[in-house]
Amino acid sequence: MAEFIAYLIAGLATGAIYALAAIGFTLVWQTSQTINFAQGEFVMLPAILILAMVGFLGAPFWLATVLGIALFVLLFGWGFKIVIVDPMIRHGVLPLAIATMALAIIMKEGAKDGFSAEAQNFPSFLPVQTISLGGVSISLQHIAIILVACAAIGGLQWFVTRTKTGRQMQAAAQNPNVALVLGIPVARMVMLTFLINAGLAALASVLISPIYLAKFSNGEVIGLFAFIAAIVGGFNQVRGALAGGLIVGVIDSLAAAYISTSYRLAVPLVLLVIIILVKPEGLFGRKEERRV
Amino acid sequence: MDNPILELDEVVGGYGRITILHGTSFRVRRGAIITIIGPNGAGKSTVFKAIFGLLNLSSGTIRFNGTDITGWSPRRLLEAGIVYVPQGRNIFPELSVRHNLEFGAVAAGPDITDMPARIEAALDRFPSLRQKADQQASTLSGGQQKQLEIMRGLLLDPKLILIDEPSIGLSPLLVQETFGILTDLRNRGVTILMVEQNARSALEMSDEGLVLELGRTRMQGPAREILHDPRVAQLFLGGAMAEVE
Ligand SMILES: Nc1ncnc2c1ncn2[C@@H]1O[C@H](COP(=O)(O)OP(=O)(O)OP(=O)(O)O)[C@@H](O)[C@H]1O
Ligand SMILES: [Mg+2]
Repeated sequence: MAEFIAYLIAGLATGAIYALAAIGFTLVWQTSQTINFAQGEFVMLPAILILAMVGFLGAPFWLATVLGIALFVLLFGWGFKIVIVDPMIRHGVLPLAIATMALAIIMKEGAKDGFSAEAQNFPSFLPVQTISLGGVSISLQHIAIILVACAAIGGLQWFVTRTKTGRQMQAAAQNPNVALVLGIPVARMVMLTFLINAGLAALASVLISPIYLAKFSNGEVIGLFAFIAAIVGGFNQVRGALAGGLIVGVIDSLAAAYISTSYRLAVPLVLLVIIILVKPEGLFGRKEERRV
Repeated sequence: MDNPILELDEVVGGYGRITILHGTSFRVRRGAIITIIGPNGAGKSTVFKAIFGLLNLSSGTIRFNGTDITGWSPRRLLEAGIVYVPQGRNIFPELSVRHNLEFGAVAAGPDITDMPARIEAALDRFPSLRQKADQQASTLSGGQQKQLEIMRGLLLDPKLILIDEPSIGLSPLLVQETFGILTDLRNRGVTILMVEQNARSALEMSDEGLVLELGRTRMQGPAREILHDPRVAQLFLGGAMAEVE
């Protein structure tokens, strides 16, 4: 039982990371029909950028973190939309999706060649001790990751539903034509979702890299699981992506512990297939609807 | 017509390579209700999109109060005093009625300081909106949704309203109520340019009628004349025209 709880908490922690990535994924899908196959690499790269700033510029870690995140949001929020999404979406959803696959490869190989092929230690801002609670040893880092990620998601949810700008963002996602007629700055709202996506990815990167280490190939699994989480959650809202992320994280953790570490990747995929067959609109989705 | 509020002059435009408006021209008299009628696909909705900056025009001019507004963005047109209520459902079903209404104030300038009061007044105008203010807009009936859209459009105190088929899907009673709102607005000096399939009832409450066919103005004149024109009657008003006489 003690072991089970520890795996559960570890699963919730990685699940929270998947949720961050899945939420960003659904946001850009809703506002601009972008299926970002580079989403995993979006979580991989910020940590590498931060380490590069420490290594090449000799910046202190906290400053490198601030600069690295800012640079990442600029390049992969703003720049991603201007350079890749806007020109490609004119040709359709598929060409854009393929362009993001190419971007994923470029980011991965770029991180490998430009920085390192080896996994690098990444310092944690969070406590790393383990405490014992009633015989269960619990990693404080896991708990802290869950709390930080949930706070970020809660903040995002508050912004989207409780602020005028957030509601304009919802309007732009749900019905851009009507939003435009009302004078809502639709283009700016779409850009905002790209900046939020990059910000969430950067946060996920800073949270997960102390555990997984910073490595060019980290995006593969994260991207796959975030994608599964988004579909499981219904592809169309913050709540669904959060639940999807947590479910996938827990299933992965328990599968690795109790089934097999080598086949663990397959278990969430099985879940995905079941969901697609049984409830294609996702656990929380509604048919044919887009929303933030 | 002296000093029209809106003028379209030889407007040519369409979607991609397909031209829908082949030189559409007409003038809209200030303070009147003008109803555009025409067969399906005549380009009635496209005219509204052209006026509201949502269509790429290859030539032509659109003037509002004498100012050339061709190609202005919706935002700028809203600020200038034009609102557009498109055909169909234009609410955000999952947001509350109040939050939907508030979108009418997005383009409000800083000089409008009484917006909260305007929003309350709009909710008070219809008991159903007030009652469901904090519920999802999807819980409103079709007619109530249209009322919400109209009240949303009025928050900016527009001078000209473009409204596309407001009566679609409404019961006869609600159609009369909606037309009543529009008549009230006209009586307060607002100009209304409306598209209606419900041509007979619409023309009966209008000052002028305009027949659009294949993207061109075929006829324009006092609503009574359009209503009683035998060619129009045959084309758009159904064979029952004679019985009404
Ligand atoms: N977004 C669009 N893209 C391409 N063609 C369009 C588009 N919208 C309308 N059309 C075409 O333009 C023509 C005019 O359409 P429009 O909607 O203006 O007609 P309408 O007079 O409003 O008809 P209805 O009475 O059915 O509403 C039609 O042939 C239609 O198929
Ligand atoms: Mg139409």
